[in-house]
Amino acid sequence: MNWKNVLLLVGVDIKSYRVVRGSKFRRFRENKLVTYSLYIGACLIGALIGSLIGNFYSGVSDSALKKLIFDGATYFFIALPTLSLIYGLVFTEMNQIQRIGARTSIQPPYWFPITWKEHTLASILANVLGTPLIITIFLCSSIFVASIFLGLVPLVVLTILALLASIILASATTEIFKALQVRLSGAVTKVAGRVAIWVRLLSSILFFIVFYLIYFSLYYNVTPIALIESIAGGQKALWFIPYVWLGVALSTFISSLWLETIVFLLASFVFIYALFLAAVRLNMRFGLYEAPSIKISRGVYVPKVGLLGRLGFSTVEAAIIRKDFRAFTRRHELMYIFIVPIIFTIMPLILSMRSEAATPLPSGIYSFMFVYLTLLPGTLMAVILGSSIVGSEGERIWYLHSLPLSAKSLVKAKHSFATLFSLVVTLICSVIGGLLIAPSVSMVAIGLIEGVFLVFSLGMVSLTFGIKGADFREFPRPRMIRPIWGLVNMIVSIIAGLAIVSPIIPYGLKLMFETSEGWLKMLITAIMPVCLPEYYLYVAVLISGVIAAIITYVFRKMALNNAEQLLAKAEG
Amino acid sequence: MAHLPALKLTGVSKRYGDVTAVDYLDLEIGKGEIFGLLGPNGSGKSTTLKTILGLVKPDSGSVNVLGINVEDNPIAVKRKVGYVPESPRVYDFLTGLEFLDFTGDVYGMQPDEKKKRIEEFLRALDLEGREGDMISSYSEGMKQKVVIISAIMHKPELLLLDEPLSGLDPKSARIVKDLLRQLASQGITTIMSTHILEIAQAMCDRIAIMYEGRLLALGTIEELRQKAKMPESGLEDIFLKLTGTGDIKPIVEALLK
Repeated sequence: MNWKNVLLLVGVDIKSYRVVRGSKFRRFRENKLVTYSLYIGACLIGALIGSLIGNFYSGVSDSALKKLIFDGATYFFIALPTLSLIYGLVFTEMNQIQRIGARTSIQPPYWFPITWKEHTLASILANVLGTPLIITIFLCSSIFVASIFLGLVPLVVLTILALLASIILASATTEIFKALQVRLSGAVTKVAGRVAIWVRLLSSILFFIVFYLIYFSLYYNVTPIALIESIAGGQKALWFIPYVWLGVALSTFISSLWLETIVFLLASFVFIYALFLAAVRLNMRFGLYEAPSIKISRGVYVPKVGLLGRLGFSTVEAAIIRKDFRAFTRRHELMYIFIVPIIFTIMPLILSMRSEAATPLPSGIYSFMFVYLTLLPGTLMAVILGSSIVGSEGERIWYLHSLPLSAKSLVKAKHSFATLFSLVVTLICSVIGGLLIAPSVSMVAIGLIEGVFLVFSLGMVSLTFGIKGADFREFPRPRMIRPIWGLVNMIVSIIAGLAIVSPIIPYGLKLMFETSEGWLKMLITAIMPVCLPEYYLYVAVLISGVIAAIITYVFRKMALNNAEQLLAKAEG
Repeated sequence: MAHLPALKLTGVSKRYGDVTAVDYLDLEIGKGEIFGLLGPNGSGKSTTLKTILGLVKPDSGSVNVLGINVEDNPIAVKRKVGYVPESPRVYDFLTGLEFLDFTGDVYGMQPDEKKKRIEEFLRALDLEGREGDMISSYSEGMKQKVVIISAIMHKPELLLLDEPLSGLDPKSARIVKDLLRQLASQGITTIMSTHILEIAQAMCDRIAIMYEGRLLALGTIEELRQKAKMPESGLEDIFLKLTGTGDIKPIVEALLK
């Protein structure tokens, strides 16, 4: 092992963060003091917090409380290696995802005289730098200073050693995942063939759904103390899993089981070395693996007019809509657009189910949930799509600029895509809501009509700002829209959305709470007219539609103006 | 050569901050000409091409393409032009076929014609069998082929090619060169920016050498020889002399020490 090569490669890896951070490359200067100050700052703040805790402990006169703090600290130290492993895994994996997003994954310079062992070790060490190391330094300094007051210095020295080993363990595991992930996705692509695109899209969405389900399940009723207690207690029971051996070694240490401590510590280091060797092997095998290309079409090419053509879209508009549909289903970085409505659908359902298990909810809340499910995900989708659909062109915008494309066609195509896509979401969510909540026919009808109004008009509002504030930069991630215009869009969309639904609100409140009892019913009847006339609903829907049409008309004018400017100013 | 020029630039200037990319450029190119635009890096070639297409608005001067003022009607100009940029980022989430289908639709090609042209080009440039793959999996040369096809397939009247042959294999490069000559004989004008001087010498009817945004020399290869007073020289020596970078020998000698 040539350690100089390892250090050089770590240096290259550190520099790759210039791209991830999106540094300005012209007249680029790097301030090393700023980089190191993060580590020094973490150390100083840690020491300060450690001394505060230590002083507090020293000042406590109540022996029972003192014992409680001492026991708590001991538990905390024992749990730290496993906690460190968890955050180490999260942050090193996030590092990888970020790099893939910024397309700065370091290709091993295989043509240089560098071995795979050196490359793998450098990658593992470089991955630890940044957030994982900052947190570890903070923890190490704080527990070390606190331990002086607590009289636990030997345990803490061992804990610090275990902490450092834990983040290396996490990074080595991430390195293995990285190699396997590339190979696995390649294999899936090969097996899936033409449907690989859909497999990729659906599995990404599924992954996020599962992730959020677990997150919300864990988040509910779990306190940090309970987590530390369960880790400290649980890792002894799970002693056969090598990942908890560092924590087990600390447990045996405080029980004065010296032989077991040495065995578990040594076993941990052997395990880390085994992971390192496995990572080296995998990198040797798959480090230069080229994923197979996704073959989408085979056979004879037949140009089609298609559904869009039959719906009255010109060939230019239909081509752009088709292209955008493919972009949003094939580009990984755009998938969050699908995730947001799904999360907004799942979150209230989980929370309501949890709440219902504790105390039954008033029936009016179910009506509200149906409206929420019908209106929010689709509208949110329209707002996100509208504001990002032009910026998502990214550096490929030159192509639109060079095409004979009028502002009118651009606005029509982009708005139609955002609207059609969002309406599908509205419909799906409404069906889910209908199946779960079984609302009245009138509520379904109102929900869907208002959904169409909101999607149509807010799609245009967002497109207006999406064109005006389009940001075509793609590093370190696709920007889509400049933050200030994103904010303006959000505010205007909320105001416009409220204006559109405002005529319906009195009817909605009446419908939701007429069946409820107690103070809710009293409140509603106090602030609203005693009874709304039968025809109120029709008038309200009509007014709502007129407001939506006016908003769409006004913002379409603005969008056309912005699109003309965009197409005329290709140099940005 | 017809009387009506395919392109007329009159006093075109473009500045980016302190840098003058194009400095009062006058240029007239006839129909059916293959015109080479040469110059060192940063001499204003790409900016000139972008200005012709209306992608860059000049600070002063006017650009007239095929009788249309670019500023007045950029869409009409774009409809008649095929463009290959220097380093194109294409929709790499589309397949080659989908991208060309998209291009054909945007330029309003009829389905039958579009199908015929796409199939012909895919076959000619050896992309058959890979047309259904996503562009993200293509090599740089294959991406370049797709962009070249997208520029030519709709039968433009003017071709603006910025380093069109970079990354192409010899067979494809030869096909593109022969194709450009055939298109020129049909009256289609090509303006090509390149650093490969042999290609410019072999293909172009006239050559312009740009330097720091200015037009240093313009004419046929024979006229350039006369201007440089180098009657027997090739374009490389003429280029180096005119751009003031001719004395290469001491640099090479210093490198060998």
